[in-house]
Amino acid sequence: MTHEGPLNILIVEDEVLLAVELQFIVREVGCRDVGLAMSSNEAVELAERLTPDLALVDVHLQDGPTGVEAARHIAKDCGGVVLFMTANVRRLPDDFAGACGVIGKPYSEHGVRTALGFLEVCLRTGRAPGPPPLGLHLSPEYRDLWGADVAPAA
Amino acid sequence: MNDIGDAQRAGEALDATHATEDPFAAAIRGTRMPILITDARQADNPIIFANDAFLALTGYPRGEVIGRNCRFLQGPETDPATVAEMREAVRSGRDVSVEVVNYRKNGSRFWNNVFLSPVRNDRGEIIYFFGSAIDISERKAERENLKSDIHVRAGELELALEQKTSLLHEVDHRVKNNLQLISSLLLLQTRRTRDEGTRQALRSMLERVGAIATVHRRLFQGGDVQRFDVSDFLRDLANDLAASARRDDLELRLDLEPVAIPASQAAPLALVANELLSNALRHAYPEGQAGQITIRCQRRDGEFDLEVVDSGVGLPPSGDRGGFGLTIVQLLSQQLKARLSLEDAQPGVRAVVTLPTTA
Repeated sequence: MTHEGPLNILIVEDEVLLAVELQFIVREVGCRDVGLAMSSNEAVELAERLTPDLALVDVHLQDGPTGVEAARHIAKDCGGVVLFMTANVRRLPDDFAGACGVIGKPYSEHGVRTALGFLEVCLRTGRAPGPPPLGLHLSPEYRDLWGADVAPAA
Repeated sequence: MNDIGDAQRAGEALDATHATEDPFAAAIRGTRMPILITDARQADNPIIFANDAFLALTGYPRGEVIGRNCRFLQGPETDPATVAEMREAVRSGRDVSVEVVNYRKNGSRFWNNVFLSPVRNDRGEIIYFFGSAIDISERKAERENLKSDIHVRAGELELALEQKTSLLHEVDHRVKNNLQLISSLLLLQTRRTRDEGTRQALRSMLERVGAIATVHRRLFQGGDVQRFDVSDFLRDLANDLAASARRDDLELRLDLEPVAIPASQAAPLALVANELLSNALRHAYPEGQAGQITIRCQRRDGEFDLEVVDSGVGLPPSGDRGGFGLTIVQLLSQQLKARLSLEDAQPGVRAVVTLPTTA
């Protein structure tokens, strides 16, 4: 999978202050923030309409712990890559519902920036530039896909 | 050829050799413990003596006991394996003690603790078997009750533990979300603030909240919720602070030994480490001057040192050291029962916090 131009990012987060702050970071790292969804229905609808390159998805949304199923749908049917952002890392299914990975809350601004930078390279080139940065955990599927197992160069 | 007559005669013969004034015989006859004697030399080992306690226990009159093999006490719930064990002991002339289900004349069942032992003559031949019986039904029932009580109780405890665990996860989740919310609030306000002093203050608060957030992210990661690894935390913290300082010309050196502290000390220690490190990042080297900062975590006897060392501009004159950051470090060191030392490293500053390690 390769990609030209800025990444289109959909934010799925029911806590509006977190969402707004994420929008800032997304723009600051040179990506395009294409939409904000607060429930799983909105998330699926926006993902189908906007076909984002990357969706940042919280597990707990306004309609309950529905983020996992929304993520599964987005990853499977909308062609987008999903990254979970949740305080409930343990509740994620083993297959990450098709998502590429997770950032655990509470995250730092710096953690999100470096994770987005890393994912941008992965999405553009189909290869990881190295091991994932601190705080970003890749799913087994995407670790293989992007070859992110390689140890950092000494 | 054996019949009740033979057994009766054998019993009478035994009786005759032990007159009523024989104290041993009197004891056997009169004891509250049910006792019987069988004749090993007759076919099928018939009972030739049963005391009154035995008759009281089983409900049979003496006439229905003498001459019969003990197996008439068995019934549908008697375990064949236990019966086989007794038979094998009798066949090989050994003592045996078993717990077996027996039945009274009226059909009621009871748990019988049977003890059988052979009696030998001068030539070593087995001539009698001596048997005693104890009704252990009550003890058995109590044991069963206890077992089912334990089972029920264990189930209750498991359920309670499950609820506790999910409650812990729920609270953990909320704490993390709230810390995230506080961070976002501070970040949003920082973005809108033009005044440089206010921005600095907000940034500092953001870092402090970030340090606490890092603690919480790490707190329930390991298996042990009571312990917290200082070195893992310091690695995370150093990474975050170095990145937000945006000083590519500063090199951070980490020299970290694994040290575990109680989870309750994690947040205060994190705040102390945050102040020392962010102070070094901000003030040790003026903008444009490259340098090194070393973070060390080292165990010694019953203590460990958390050390932040730079070779920068050194301590400000003591009159100018009244910053809020230093106040935080001093207060929390006091809370942690830690010794704080700030010295001129010529060049630079060497800050050491020495904490007791708990076993």
